[in-house]
Amino acid sequence: MNASYHDGEPAVVTAALTGGVHGKEANPNLPETPAEIGEAAAACELAGASVVHLHARRENGERAFSTDRFQQVADAVREATDDVILQHSTGGTAAPEDRRIEPLRTDPPPEMASLDMGPLNRYDHLTSENTRAFVDRLHGEMRERGITPELEVFNDGHLNETLAFLDRADTTDPPYLNLIFGGGTTSPPSPRRLLAHLDDVPDRAEVNVIGFGPHQLPVTTTSLLVGGHARVGLEDNCYYRRGEPATSNAQLVERTAEIAEQLGRPVATTAETRSILGL
Amino acid sequence: MAECPHLEYRETAGEQTFETARAYCAVADEFVQPMRADICTGRYGLAPSEDCEIYREAAADR
Repeated sequence: MNASYHDGEPAVVTAALTGGVHGKEANPNLPETPAEIGEAAAACELAGASVVHLHARRENGERAFSTDRFQQVADAVREATDDVILQHSTGGTAAPEDRRIEPLRTDPPPEMASLDMGPLNRYDHLTSENTRAFVDRLHGEMRERGITPELEVFNDGHLNETLAFLDRADTTDPPYLNLIFGGGTTSPPSPRRLLAHLDDVPDRAEVNVIGFGPHQLPVTTTSLLVGGHARVGLEDNCYYRRGEPATSNAQLVERTAEIAEQLGRPVATTAETRSILGL
Repeated sequence: MAECPHLEYRETAGEQTFETARAYCAVADEFVQPMRADICTGRYGLAPSEDCEIYREAAADR
């Protein structure tokens, strides 16, 4: 990948609103119910997000995978927003594979969905396996439903897996890779590590970047400098700055949108994002 | 599926209040991440006192 801020290409900003790990106990502003998620999506769209990454929760805040619950979330988002792009999560440590496919089966299907490219450890005793067979199964269902995958690259090994996947799979063009930086199984967070990853990304690919916790702002800003895109939101980071909880998802989106503009990267409209990602 | 004997569902603890009761660890004395509850160590036949990071951290702080 050889792009940079010099090119002045629009930057896609994705808002990861809810996630499936922490909840309101970590930040009371994190939306959990369909109505809250819809409201947050609308605020993020106004702040510059063209994509919203969606998880569903049960009433007690724990993860929900059912098509019905994702339908409620998707309906609430569509009703509250103008034209934002919906991206459903298919992640789910310890969830049966059949359940992880359910978020793809809403009516209409989401335009995008996440596709984890390999295994990752969770806590001391669990691994989200994401075998190649399951990656291909999820991808097959996405293709049947016209859903564009975002390829979740949690580390260097997943980059190998992604390159092999692109060789074997009849997938969308351009491929959209999401490079993930933080602790645990994710890539160690640093600008140099991000640059090293880019050396191995196919030139035709578009690249999004996630940084967990305090790494969100530095690595997403680095991504904007090198021509990539940025995902921010309370799923990945509960704080605006050290010791100061974020007041909303939109607050994080607004900051990243402003940084992109300041760096000469206009924030992509929804139409521009559809063009960039070939949706 | 077995439950962790230390996992409770509460609406209120300290200054935190929720409309729906949610996962609370009686060992750590705090609400825990929802995902920590739905993939709780106790639900996998493991021993919380030996295998749960939250339990071990709380015990170490005592």
